[in-house]
Amino acid sequence: MTRALRAEFLKLTTTRLVAGMTVLAVALTALIGVLEAATAGTGKGMAIPSLATATGLRDNLASTGFALLIAALLGTVIATSEFRLKTATDTYLDQSARGRVLAAKAVAAATAGAVLGAAAAAAATGVALGFATSHGYALALSGPAIAHYTGGTVIASALLSAAGVGVGSLIRHQVGAIIAVVAWGLVVELVVGATVPAVGRFLPYTAAAMMAGDTNGGGMPQIPRGVIALPYPAAAVVLAAIATAAAVAAGLTTVRRDIT
Amino acid sequence: MTVIEVRGLVKQFGPATVVGGLSFSVGAGTIAGFLGPNGAGKTTTLRMLLGLVQPSSGQAVIWGKPYRELGDRRRRVGAVLEASGFHPGRTVTAHLRVRCAATGTGRSRIDAVLADTGMTGLAGRQTGSLSLGERQRLGLAAALLGEPEVLILDEPANGLDPAGVLWLRGFLRQLGEQGRTVLVSSHILAEVAQFADHAIVIDRGRLVSAGPVTELTKTARQVVTVRSPRAEALRAALASEGAAVRAAGPDRLEISGLDTEQVATLAAALGIPIFEITTDTGSLEQAFLRLTATEGRPG
Repeated sequence: MTRALRAEFLKLTTTRLVAGMTVLAVALTALIGVLEAATAGTGKGMAIPSLATATGLRDNLASTGFALLIAALLGTVIATSEFRLKTATDTYLDQSARGRVLAAKAVAAATAGAVLGAAAAAAATGVALGFATSHGYALALSGPAIAHYTGGTVIASALLSAAGVGVGSLIRHQVGAIIAVVAWGLVVELVVGATVPAVGRFLPYTAAAMMAGDTNGGGMPQIPRGVIALPYPAAAVVLAAIATAAAVAAGLTTVRRDIT
Repeated sequence: MTVIEVRGLVKQFGPATVVGGLSFSVGAGTIAGFLGPNGAGKTTTLRMLLGLVQPSSGQAVIWGKPYRELGDRRRRVGAVLEASGFHPGRTVTAHLRVRCAATGTGRSRIDAVLADTGMTGLAGRQTGSLSLGERQRLGLAAALLGEPEVLILDEPANGLDPAGVLWLRGFLRQLGEQGRTVLVSSHILAEVAQFADHAIVIDRGRLVSAGPVTELTKTARQVVTVRSPRAEALRAALASEGAAVRAAGPDRLEISGLDTEQVATLAAALGIPIFEITTDTGSLEQAFLRLTATEGRPG
């Protein structure tokens, strides 16, 4: 397992994939954060409450919704690139235990996802606190509360990235896997959440966004109204279970397939 | 001692039988050419030998064990199966570092394999900017990292320019001189005959011939071309000796069934001058086509 882990980490540090995806996540988070902060408390359509309030500050801290989706895509791309670039042949020649390779890939992707999530959380926190202090507001949330949401982004990003590896191993075709992940996050979960809110809270992207601080009816993309956040540890367990289930499903099916 | 052994190997993809009951073996220290036309099942066989494709039935083993069960396999068996299996954004050295990490090979080998394959000057280049020939060399470099006793190479000459083919030929000969066992797939018999001492010929997933390359080349039909001002007289004489003769021009004959010495001796006995006499080197490929029954079949 050590060799597989070393190889997977080295794969991630010798290309620009993680850096590129992290830059994209930070840029989107900062853009949404600034748009939210600039219109906070104005009462306009999608505007969040004033940053002087705990709700407004929390909403602004949770401008990491797209970063979470990018974290899931990072894991998906890590897994599917092996097939797109035909490097899977050498990977499985070097390490014949395919389950071990999958596990090592999920661990490496989770670490990269955590880095991406930390960078996005830092950007969101910087924007929120920067706007709040520039307006002369006293911080409406305590340090631990802020750490709770930023930590949620980091953990959720890590777990979504690991789940992305499972999805990417199940759907080897890179474009197909990316479309599936985006459609799931931006369409399926929103539809299910809006129609059956009691089920919506258990869906991975929704659970992740709520760990990062999104609330019922808030966030970008917006959490459907009526979806109540799972307790923080329960949300983490849901994400970990989904990541594990995707990896196990892949391990029992596609990962055993012939490498042609 | 047998190193590679394939016994009754079968692979079916849906209704199609790609490999149908193939058996052959390769002894230690042998350079074996694994020959067959495109679609003969060579790549599928090699992938089954390396545990990447599950056989429908039969076995393919190295030192008596399936590849996956070999201890320290990547230090004992090196393989190059895909010329394009590189991340284009990774440098040559980074690619080899990843392979070292995956196999537990010391990084000190990287410089050595780069030198062996003439890639030292390209160490910092991204693999995406390498030519096909350079990627083939990088594949060979990676396969040699563990200093393996056995090398399995799938069409390593594909896409190489003449200089690359020449280099590869010398490189493979060198591997043979080092006592390694090498199994090289190809669809060009004349090329394999330059470096291999054993040839395994398959077609449509079945064994056609296996044995020393010299035996295979003996079966090649020799065509002798002669240029003479008395071609017609010579033609009649050769035909009476049982040779098949074809006029290839006003003063040129193509003769099958007699070798150069017999043709020249006959001409001398009859006082017929000969200005030129050659043996057709394309006959190896004709032998291959006959063996694989692909003569006249579209490629």
